Amino acid sequence: MFDNLGKSLSNLIRRIVTGTAIDKKSVEEILKDLKIILLQSDVDTKLAEELVSKIRKKCLEEKIPAGLTLREHVLKVIYEELVKLLGEKPSTLIGKKKIMLVGLFGTAKTTTCAKLARYFQKQGLKPALICADYHRPAATTQLLQLSQQINAPVHIGKDPYSAVKDGLERFKSYDVVIIDTAGRNALDTALANEMKRLAEIAKPDEVLLTIPADIGKVAGPQANEFNKLVGITGVIVTKMDGTAKGGGALSSCSVTGAKVKFIGTGEKIEDLEVYDPERFVSRLLGLGDLRTLLEKAKEAEIKPEMAEKIVEGRFTLQDFYDQIEALGKMGPLQSIASMVPGFGMMKLPEDVMEKQEEKLKHFKFILQSMTREEKENPDIISASRIKRIARGSGRPEHEVRELLNQYEKMRKILKSFGRTGLERGGLKQLIKQFGFKL
Amino acid sequence: MFGILRKKLSKAIESISEKFKKKEEVSKKVETKKEEIEKIIEKIEEKKPEEIVEEIKPIQEIPEAKKEVEKIIEEAKPEIERAKLKERKGLLKKITEKIVKKIKEKKLSEEEIEPILKELETGLIESDVAFVVAEKIKNDLKNSLVGKEIKRGREREAAIEALRQSLLDILSVPKIDLEEIIKKKKSENRPAVFIFFGINGVGKSLNLSKVAKLLKDKGYRPIMAAGDTFRAAGSTQLEEYGEMIKVPVISHQKGGDSCAVIFDAIKAAEARGYDVVLADSSGRMHTKKDLLDELAKIVRVNKPDLKILVLDSLSGGDVLLQYEFFNKAIGTDAVLFAKVDINEKGGNILSICYSFKVPIIFLGTGQKPEDLVEYDPKKFVEKLIGS
Repeated sequence: MFDNLGKSLSNLIRRIVTGTAIDKKSVEEILKDLKIILLQSDVDTKLAEELVSKIRKKCLEEKIPAGLTLREHVLKVIYEELVKLLGEKPSTLIGKKKIMLVGLFGTAKTTTCAKLARYFQKQGLKPALICADYHRPAATTQLLQLSQQINAPVHIGKDPYSAVKDGLERFKSYDVVIIDTAGRNALDTALANEMKRLAEIAKPDEVLLTIPADIGKVAGPQANEFNKLVGITGVIVTKMDGTAKGGGALSSCSVTGAKVKFIGTGEKIEDLEVYDPERFVSRLLGLGDLRTLLEKAKEAEIKPEMAEKIVEGRFTLQDFYDQIEALGKMGPLQSIASMVPGFGMMKLPEDVMEKQEEKLKHFKFILQSMTREEKENPDIISASRIKRIARGSGRPEHEVRELLNQYEKMRKILKSFGRTGLERGGLKQLIKQFGFKL
Repeated sequence: MFGILRKKLSKAIESISEKFKKKEEVSKKVETKKEEIEKIIEKIEEKKPEEIVEEIKPIQEIPEAKKEVEKIIEEAKPEIERAKLKERKGLLKKITEKIVKKIKEKKLSEEEIEPILKELETGLIESDVAFVVAEKIKNDLKNSLVGKEIKRGREREAAIEALRQSLLDILSVPKIDLEEIIKKKKSENRPAVFIFFGINGVGKSLNLSKVAKLLKDKGYRPIMAAGDTFRAAGSTQLEEYGEMIKVPVISHQKGGDSCAVIFDAIKAAEARGYDVVLADSSGRMHTKKDLLDELAKIVRVNKPDLKILVLDSLSGGDVLLQYEFFNKAIGTDAVLFAKVDINEKGGNILSICYSFKVPIIFLGTGQKPEDLVEYDPKKFVEKLIGS
């Protein structure tokens, strides 16, 4: 009954997409369910309520943009509001910096410190670490061992205060200094005071709060407390590789006004990603459909310069390849197809889609085995070149020929669209081509 | 501990008992004016239905009762209008009876209690109680309070009792007696083996040492196995705890085989006469199949007597998924909830108990080795609703 949490929103969206008629009453029902789903994903109650009422207002009171049905409008509003809530992509942390990590017990601070250091190394910067956790047994050893893995120096002292003071002095010449603090309950006075004093000594440029993705509704109050004590400048959501949706983390952002900077996605030292709000929304809601929806909302996927090329018959294999790539980024074909009016809700057997995806993958291999010249000017591809391409890509020759045929057909169809047709509905046609005529 | 959840519960109790008291008051007031009201109604045969309420002067002073009267008359309006003049008298008498009975009513109706229960439900969900569990509590209260005669002065008790029953029903789970398991194994000349597992950072090592200390204080001879060979300083941490509580720790080099460490610890226990092995394991995400397979191997090889899942009480609804995944992969005999001391909400304990009826053995209540309490549903309920 619970493993469907993620699916539930996906189902809700599906209900909007497939439902016979969408009217005010059904929108109300959808919004009621949306609220329940958000709450079940650990989103703060107040936040969920605000979000839902904002969406209601936009859906029912605002004029529906031309060209969109109420159905599409509702989907678009839900998606946009969620993305807005999650903020833009964060500004990257670059340059000389003192960073202090704080958080509750067991939120992966120490591991994240090392991951951050690794991240800065990859940016070409010189990071160093300071251990300010002298409460938890073996915290120092843990940081020491992690630092050895990445070859970054770590300063360990006798108590947190002197360690930070001496460490900062010692690492003066380093680009980035990362301070690991002890896990704490922000409501505990003694621990709170210690953290406050540490921040006074360190004067960090960034104070990052680690929040595990599975945290419940304590996230808001705790984040608020941390913020009051030391001023949070950013959030790192850890343990994103589990089943949790990160709704609690979302609440702590909304409470503190701080943005998510990174997400921890695994136990290895490399497993730290710069936060991407769109992916986070998909994650939070457990569905890929909304992602494709955004693509659909943009719809004019084919850029003007591409359209020009096509109209003039200059649609090359390279462009063909780019289109396949773009499709791949949009998610599984099944969900794309379900978003496209026309096939809308056609229920295709799953393996049909899988086979198509396989085929697209093979086409990619083949295209990757072509020279630039061949891609720009496919006419030069002779029998011997086909042989070479087949060998290079590990695919049979007839598949290379099939690809060339497809490309030729596509070029003709695209040409017949004319420019405006392409800009408006080109993507749909392309999908039809890829998905169903291959 | 559980401050916020407790507040929500006590608020519901107060609101319900207030509601009962108010009802009682209204019905007492009506009682004194009953005859007066009946007399008036008898005289107003000729009036139109909407004028009736205005005519019943005594009722104006009791706003709650007035509302009820308006409602009853509104419902009866078509009937009154249809009735012929001579039938009217009888009809109005019937309505009068209905009105008096209704406003004298001390029992709560479903609609009267619904807003309170709705608020409680929201409060529970805000405290990480799963939706289904909040729903159950709501329905339990409805079933035990709606339409029930409550003695005067017992309103609060009635509300508390209803809530207590519901919570007990949710929080009662089978019990597991660790000592009995250890004794039984001892009679077979073998050590009992308890293995602790869970996702990263929930507090496995700390709480394992707490259990070791508790058993040691009870006169048993525990030995700990540093099965966390993956995380940096995973075994060092347990070794330091071991020194603190004076319990030996078997450990290997970092990166070693967790399964072998535990195996060695069991062998050591057998050779040196320890009666219980407490085995730590690396934190692992429940979604990583190969890591879970590794855990399954540890279980297969070492055949633990208890597989104890450690859950973070600060987690939200995700604990249910964590439980399901781990349970599916290796089975779960018992649950230990960590970090309960800093939890103001703690609704996920209710969710786990209700959904899986799995034994809860301990609650971790702090950073020190002695910060561990045995889980007792009755005490837990009293903690939540006790005055």
